[in-house]
Amino acid sequence: MKKMSRLLLILGTLGLVVSLFAGCGNSTKKTGAGGSKNEITFWNPFTGPDGKNMQAMIDAYNKTNPEYKIKNVSLKETDMYTKIPTVVNSKKNIPDVTIVHAERLKQYKDNHMLTAYDDYLSDYPKMTGENYVTEAWNIGNIENKRYSIPLDIHTFGLYYNKDLVEKYLPNALDDQIVTFDEIKEVGEKAQKENIASLGVSWVKPNYLSLYAQNGGELSKDGTTPTLDNAAGKKTYKLWNNYVKEGYTTKDGEDATQLFLTGKVVFLPEGIWMQNQIKQSKINWGLTNAPQLSADLSQAVNWSSSHQFVLFNSKERNKAKTKGVIDFIDWVRDHSMEWAKSGQNPASLSILENEEYKKMPQAIFLLDPEEQKTLKIFDYKYNGYVSEYLEAHGVDTIFGTESIDDSLVNMQKEVTDKIAKDKTNNE
Amino acid sequence: MKAVTGVNKLTKKTSSINITPWLFIGPHLLIFLIFFLVPIGFGIYISFTEWDLISQPDFVGLANYKEILFNHDSIFYEQFQTGLKNTFLFVLFAVPFCILVPLFLATALHAKPKFWKIFQSLFYMPSLFAISAVVIIWKLMFDVTYGPINHLFQLNTLWLRNQPYAWVSLVIVTVWWTIGGNMVIYQAALNGIPKDYYEAADIDGASGMQKFLKITLPSMKSQILYTVVLTTISQFNVYGQPLMLTGGGPTNSTRVLLMNIQQNAFGSGQSIAGIASAMAIILGVCIMAVASLQFFFLRDKK
Repeated sequence: MKKMSRLLLILGTLGLVVSLFAGCGNSTKKTGAGGSKNEITFWNPFTGPDGKNMQAMIDAYNKTNPEYKIKNVSLKETDMYTKIPTVVNSKKNIPDVTIVHAERLKQYKDNHMLTAYDDYLSDYPKMTGENYVTEAWNIGNIENKRYSIPLDIHTFGLYYNKDLVEKYLPNALDDQIVTFDEIKEVGEKAQKENIASLGVSWVKPNYLSLYAQNGGELSKDGTTPTLDNAAGKKTYKLWNNYVKEGYTTKDGEDATQLFLTGKVVFLPEGIWMQNQIKQSKINWGLTNAPQLSADLSQAVNWSSSHQFVLFNSKERNKAKTKGVIDFIDWVRDHSMEWAKSGQNPASLSILENEEYKKMPQAIFLLDPEEQKTLKIFDYKYNGYVSEYLEAHGVDTIFGTESIDDSLVNMQKEVTDKIAKDKTNNE
Repeated sequence: MKAVTGVNKLTKKTSSINITPWLFIGPHLLIFLIFFLVPIGFGIYISFTEWDLISQPDFVGLANYKEILFNHDSIFYEQFQTGLKNTFLFVLFAVPFCILVPLFLATALHAKPKFWKIFQSLFYMPSLFAISAVVIIWKLMFDVTYGPINHLFQLNTLWLRNQPYAWVSLVIVTVWWTIGGNMVIYQAALNGIPKDYYEAADIDGASGMQKFLKITLPSMKSQILYTVVLTTISQFNVYGQPLMLTGGGPTNSTRVLLMNIQQNAFGSGQSIAGIASAMAIILGVCIMAVASLQFFFLRDKK
């Protein structure tokens, strides 16, 4: 009896320990590769509603009975970006293909984490620049090597309330460009009725788009930041002025909510917000982000792009790599499902789809001149700039932080952070 | 009792090491080693290096600590100063309420008013929510245009974008979220106080306040000490509330240290893990120092 109880105790403890490790084992299998041989592990950050569209695409692809089936692993964006360096470092369970944002490519490339596609592309005659939106395609070409292939190009545009535009400035959208002057004109009339002309929304794309229109560059040589300059001052001053004159939503107000209830005329927001905007009762449209000039050739629309990359992995042999590219090539021709999530696919074959042409976000792709307005801010240290703008942008726009301080500190913070990066000293 | 000695004898026969106690603490020890000691050791090591999470860490000795603590020109010095200051401020504002409010509610529930069980579950419920859910609820509550708080009190207050309201909001949210844990401990403590004490006090003609101060509080001393220390430690680790509710604003005034640590290590740019680790280690030392002080002043002086 005594022996028995002791045995049970030992067995119990062992069982607990084993189950603990088994638990760990399971969780790595969920996210890692190395499962079945004919399976491609595909990491992506689509955990929102767009995740369903991605899953539908993958299901459709797997139904074509490819040699390598795709296993979809959607991770929360922040978690995915945290896991990537750890996994690539450990050299085990590296995803066979991953979707990352275009802004991160240079960083990964400079850290020698990416495998180039060049050796394989000759087998895929349609995977060339002319079949993709130029801005989205070019971003994957670094030092004459192709490190990524675009899935989409998502743009920060301008939603407008059709009824309110009709009321205050009926011809504002004749040219599909709403200028800041027009916003001002609307603002003067609208504020009397307690309606804001312009919603103060996500600062980063708003700032960067106007900054570029003012001739600003994040860096001249690709490394040293050039953030504290006249273009930056002009950008913030315009916003400051519009706040002061009462054309915008007020500090602390939720611009999107106000737009959805018809209290804001113009709301700069991403095309990916469409499904939320659709649910409201207002009569809305989507067009170019606010511009300084009505000349389309000078317009800038902040954009980003989801890109397929191959992180270095010894477990991904040639056949498997081909399996990955087969999938990406299939997506090139079957991206309508992705457009349904509100996105603009980077593949130009979408322009032949009648259903797509009627979608509001198609405005950014239909006209080749429009495509030229799409700008991805691919400065290697864009991440540091974003972090600063997220923390200080709203304060600067509403004047609780002075423009000079904000710009001087942005330059300083980004410079100090860059000083810690070893990849520059190589 | 007999069984235990039997087992002991058995082990002595087979080996000189007594394995039984190890089996009891084994699983916990293993988890402690894997998930606590090893990461902490690694964290300390990283704080002495320059590392971007990708290449090999370069050993730089105390350079990170020097930069954070003494290099006035460095952004990381500034980050650390404001971050730590804001963290201390938050602890100072939040901890008293995180103790007093649950204590008050526990005492009220102890009197067993009508429906006290329902109230008890209601008060406890928020602690079961994830912080992101809590913040979403309260963000709506504090909304300047549509928020019920401004509506109810006919205010026009910008809760999250103005000081001192931003701190007030953060404290309200934190207290609401954490009432449950401390309240349950106090309820248990209250149940453990013998009724005779109160009967004796009644005979002596003590008032309700006197009874609370002279009987209730002293009898709960160890539970209060325990909750004060644990609450302080957990509030030092404040992160989710300011991150999602105020975004660290207005003008960085609610930007707590953990936000800077997280951003440096796992931000949208290249990771600066060495600096982030060093900041985390110093924060850990601060927490230990404060907790020890609390133990020292609140301990049973016998």
